[in-house]
Amino acid sequence: MALKVDALKCTGCRICEFACNYHHDTTISPIGSSIMFYFEEKKNYYGLMVKRDKSLLLGRPEGEKVLLPGEQIEGAGASAKPILLRVACDLCKDEDSGPVCVQACPYDVLSVEGA
Amino acid sequence: METMNNYNGTILVVDLNAQTCSTEELTPDMIEQGLGGAGINMLLYEQYKDREPIILGSGLLTATFAPAACCGVMTAKSPITGTIAHVPFGWQTGVEMKLTGFDFVVIGGTSPKPVRLWLHDGLSDLNDAADIWGKDVWESVDKIREAYGDEMVQMLVIGQAGEQKRTLAQVCENYWSSKDKAGLGAVFGAKNLKAVALRGLGSLEVAEGFFQKCVELKNQIVSGTIKGKAGLYDIGTALGIDAGVLEKIKSMTHRNDAAYNCPYPYYTFLKYNESPSAMDMKGHAEPGCLVSDLAGFAALAAAGLEPAQALERCCRLGLEPAGAAAALKKQGAKDIASLDKLAAEGAAEGLAVWTVAAEQQQAIAGITKAFSFAVPPRAVFGQDGGPQWWVQRQAEAYLLGIDPVIMLMAPELSDEKLAELVALCSDWEDFTADTLKKIAEDLIAKSK
Repeated sequence: MALKVDALKCTGCRICEFACNYHHDTTISPIGSSIMFYFEEKKNYYGLMVKRDKSLLLGRPEGEKVLLPGEQIEGAGASAKPILLRVACDLCKDEDSGPVCVQACPYDVLSVEGA
Repeated sequence: METMNNYNGTILVVDLNAQTCSTEELTPDMIEQGLGGAGINMLLYEQYKDREPIILGSGLLTATFAPAACCGVMTAKSPITGTIAHVPFGWQTGVEMKLTGFDFVVIGGTSPKPVRLWLHDGLSDLNDAADIWGKDVWESVDKIREAYGDEMVQMLVIGQAGEQKRTLAQVCENYWSSKDKAGLGAVFGAKNLKAVALRGLGSLEVAEGFFQKCVELKNQIVSGTIKGKAGLYDIGTALGIDAGVLEKIKSMTHRNDAAYNCPYPYYTFLKYNESPSAMDMKGHAEPGCLVSDLAGFAALAAAGLEPAQALERCCRLGLEPAGAAAALKKQGAKDIASLDKLAAEGAAEGLAVWTVAAEQQQAIAGITKAFSFAVPPRAVFGQDGGPQWWVQRQAEAYLLGIDPVIMLMAPELSDEKLAELVALCSDWEDFTADTLKKIAEDLIAKSK
């Protein structure tokens, strides 16, 4: 099972990032989440990236892409780099109602693949 | 009461005359009296009145999981009305300020030289702004982000119109036009304050059960009156904005964006320098403009200008679009270059007006002119409650940090629900809808 991003539904509201941080650390903050919003503001180019155990999911508006260690790709801004240091998504396995990012998103951007 | 779990507990006091920053404690008494946002801004305004301050304040719920809790509020005397104005700042700026570690920022006095205020990680710096003084908003934002090495730095910033202290100036949010219809851009300019740059990596506590309560309320909102609707096009249709204007919006819409945690995306990005359907990151470096000010966009169109390009010019110059459009209409000027002249020597003639619901806007102005007419002067999709209702809804939004447009389209955010969230997240047991109403009424009465 893995988290899936439908990037074109995303509006950039960022609540998934804050919800994820809350799951990991019980506070409101953008710094400890496994999911991260990246944004090139003047181009209105944005998407979400998810730190997985052994890969990085790029939920880009032009389509999803899975990055393996060492791979580089255009389409994720410099603002996204800190995600490599983040804790991997655990699909909120201890939460009764499923991943908190999926619960918090107002736009049905996120879902669990293979659930 | 344990309201501190929604606040950092810190007020920053900036003395531009002396070029110093100091901090004060945000006390439970202040929260009990003013609640947050514009309410506490008013307490601080009274305290620092002799320094002609501009106060930036975060709402009690700002940056929490409460739906649409994205806003901060600027409070100062408007050079247009001569009375108090509260201007919400949302997008990502309101949340970012609270996460810098400063809940409220009092900016008093006048700097002897152009400066920018840099707030980050509980630290405050007054930095020289000679390198960006005279530059437009877009260039200033680029340069500040480059200087601090972080493209997620959020900004309240002025362009040439603000530097020239024009009453038509507005404080922009990053590259874009804002809800400042009160000329606070001229207040920044008069203080020699080019920008407030914000980067917040702090954290706030969350009360037990608060997250789930907020998710339930969000689910009610998205399945309520806003269901199936998005962007400025649907808002404009509901308000009866001119069909030609709406067609322009539709034909250029790239994506509809939302401010932090907002269940309705009313920031519509228009692309006119490349195809609106272009989704990759290549292509034009500056493909278009983000529009949230429907009144400004419609006014520019009504004045005979190409509204998207004219709005971009307003953003760059830091000009309030509806007021600028009114000034151009009066002159009979229909060229975008005339906006540059306005930024140098134009003046606002009263508060900017909507092209629709004018009667209701007038009735609201009869009650108070303190709240921003960047938002529609009536309910957006549901039942309108009249001018007094509008003022009350806005006052509550400005206290709690809820987006003021969402307040006009989501009846699910009722006084009772909002009070429940406040009581839960603050462990403020006797806080009820009546408490909220009363503090909002006090704010309205004081905002003269």
